[in-house]
Amino acid sequence: MQQQGARENILHGIDSGTETISGKPVSLTKTKTAEKHITLAVNKTAGKPVSKLNRFKSKSFRENLIGYGFISPWLIGFFLLTAGPLLFSLVVSFSDYNITSEMTFTGLDNYKKMFTADDLFWTSLWNTVYFVLFSVPMTTAGAIFIAVLLNSKIKGMKIFRTIYYLPAVLSGVAVYFLWMQLLSPGTGLVNLVLSWVGIEGPAWLFDPNWTKPALIFMKLWSVGGGMLLYLASLQGVSTTLYEAADLDGANIFQKFFHITLPMITPIIFFDIITSTIGAFQIFQEAYVMSKDGDGGPAHSLLFYNLHMWNNAFEVFDMGYASAMAWVLFIIIMILTIFNLKFGKRWVHYEGGDNK
Amino acid sequence: MKMKKKKKKKLSILLSAIMLISLILSGCSGQNSSGSAADSNGKVTLKFWSFWGSETRRPVIEKMIDDYNKSQDKVVVKHTFVPWGDIWTKNLAAVAAGNPADVVVTDINDVSHRAKNNQSTDLSKYFDDNMKDRFYPHLWDTVLYDGKPYAAPFNTDTRLLYYNKKAFKEAGLDPNKPPQTWKELEEYAKKLDVKKGSSYERIGFYPLWGGYGAPSWMRNADEGKNFFDGDKLSINTPAKAEALTWLADWKKRYGKKTIEKWDAEFANGQTNPFVAEKVAMYTDTGTFYTQIRDSGKELDFGVAPIPAYKEGARNWSDGGGFVLEVPKGSKHPKEAAEFIKYLTDVKAQKYWAVKNYDNVANKEAAESVAEGMKGQEKMVYSESLKNLKDTQLAPIPINYPDFMSRINPQIDAVMLGKSDAKAALKKAEADVKKIKRK
Repeated sequence: MQQQGARENILHGIDSGTETISGKPVSLTKTKTAEKHITLAVNKTAGKPVSKLNRFKSKSFRENLIGYGFISPWLIGFFLLTAGPLLFSLVVSFSDYNITSEMTFTGLDNYKKMFTADDLFWTSLWNTVYFVLFSVPMTTAGAIFIAVLLNSKIKGMKIFRTIYYLPAVLSGVAVYFLWMQLLSPGTGLVNLVLSWVGIEGPAWLFDPNWTKPALIFMKLWSVGGGMLLYLASLQGVSTTLYEAADLDGANIFQKFFHITLPMITPIIFFDIITSTIGAFQIFQEAYVMSKDGDGGPAHSLLFYNLHMWNNAFEVFDMGYASAMAWVLFIIIMILTIFNLKFGKRWVHYEGGDNK
Repeated sequence: MKMKKKKKKKLSILLSAIMLISLILSGCSGQNSSGSAADSNGKVTLKFWSFWGSETRRPVIEKMIDDYNKSQDKVVVKHTFVPWGDIWTKNLAAVAAGNPADVVVTDINDVSHRAKNNQSTDLSKYFDDNMKDRFYPHLWDTVLYDGKPYAAPFNTDTRLLYYNKKAFKEAGLDPNKPPQTWKELEEYAKKLDVKKGSSYERIGFYPLWGGYGAPSWMRNADEGKNFFDGDKLSINTPAKAEALTWLADWKKRYGKKTIEKWDAEFANGQTNPFVAEKVAMYTDTGTFYTQIRDSGKELDFGVAPIPAYKEGARNWSDGGGFVLEVPKGSKHPKEAAEFIKYLTDVKAQKYWAVKNYDNVANKEAAESVAEGMKGQEKMVYSESLKNLKDTQLAPIPINYPDFMSRINPQIDAVMLGKSDAKAALKKAEADVKKIKRK
């Protein structure tokens, strides 16, 4: 098999005709490795077959072992810190585990409670879905829009790019505190600016109708991270396509919708999947920006993960929290599979066979 | 050449094996090193965890520990500061891992939860019968589970009404006659309001600012009855509904906009509305006095009990507090209990109370502290001591660990004008009923 592969490579290298200059040295090295393989294969069949085979086996075994040795930090990390707890949480989700005194198997009780008795489960799920539904499309569209603007060739563009990317560099709790001040209904900058144009701003984080829009608004401010991805892919769109469109007399919108957008669909697809998963896991914002981390006025910021966290680390109902984690996992899994299936219809891979 | 190569390979295998082993060992070393009972002098080392790490509290607790270490030669107490919020989860994780501290400072209201869940040690065999006599009875009752103490109260607090005497004089009120009832509170507040145009310069009183929240007002109205009457729910009661309506009416009077604006302004806690003289009456604990004192303002203020619901009713107030617990799995529960006895004895408690201006759990210590004070300091402290007789804790019932998460949104709904008090409390009671633990 290996021989054949190597030979094919050689043939390919020689046959791919036009690029003889670069092709030649490649083909040379390829022949060398191929020879090695051949000699190995010859060794294998000649002489004492059994002992040689054993030696070969043990050597490869040792090599494997060394290989595993080198990746052992990751392997240990994976089994001890990821796979282990993952399986443990699955087991725990069928029990009333509370870390110290209880670990009784309760069957599907946790799941039953989730769907029948715990109203806050539905509140938190609704809040999260609301956030996902608005924040994902808006941040995606926002990022593309800014990327397109920043892709034009004018002087000082690098400065603009830096400015728009800055919010993505600043992150974490400090930013949330900053936004709490910006969104303050009386003295906040946001409402001050709104008042200049005659709009009386809402109470943002204090009015349950406006808490989630406030967070989405805040998220839009930091679309710079996604913008960078789009910018990179926009630069990769071949200018020949635009030239051809110009010849055909296409206007700027036609070019955008028929060339730019289709060409960057793989990145849009990637961004939508990752930001959907990220948005479902929203936690910090609500934890930091609501009083005592309780989920804001009238539970309007009680997101799924916050509710889960409260169950796990406030009342130490680890069994229930684990069950919630698995339900979230299933929801995200279904959505991602749906996305992957549906994605084939609109994602355009250049030169690929749509795999 | 070949030999060398082989050697190299062996070496690399050896190296990776060492790496593997050291990784595994480093994972276990935490348990090996800390299991030792006594140090080289034959003294027992006690691990003590507290969240008192601030500039003011840390030196005080460490001086107390130092005194203890010097007073005897059997035990050495080692203090570890664990940040507020982390300490509960860290303690739990340590208990689960079988390697906890020997004494830990925790919240008084969920002592019974840890007792039930096997996270703390029954101290009845280390405490003698007169141990309970040193504490205020309402505190001692809260540390009992199944009639046995699982902790010892350390400090406590109580909510008082602070009022600005200067503002009282301006409004033509007698600065020595604070409001006694809810009705008077309303009348006074109206007089104390200062309005310029459509916005307020000073707000007389708003019941939800300060340390006395909606549940506390509802309890005050309902003859001091909390949301649970023993095992029975008493969330949806006429008095509580009236109190909630009363609270919503305050918001209506000042206007949603005003309240939201002020809420946001003082949300970060950097400035206090009472200290800034933006609010004329304010509820908070006795320790709040230190904030007024340290503000550098010569604020002329008085303190009074929380106004009563109706004339003749008691001035119910709410309090909290912290206890000293021996986590389950401590290697030296006996020594730990001795240390707890020292920390809750008169001398140590008095030192804490004086240095931190805090209400302590030891009755004798608390009462003797006030004698050595003077001026405003003494006024607030004695008032807080008097208030303790009407102060109640709010222990979290075993079967409803997260009941407030069902009541809070209903209170919010009423405050936002989206629901009337009766319907909201009915819903809250039904919701709480649903989440009862078996």
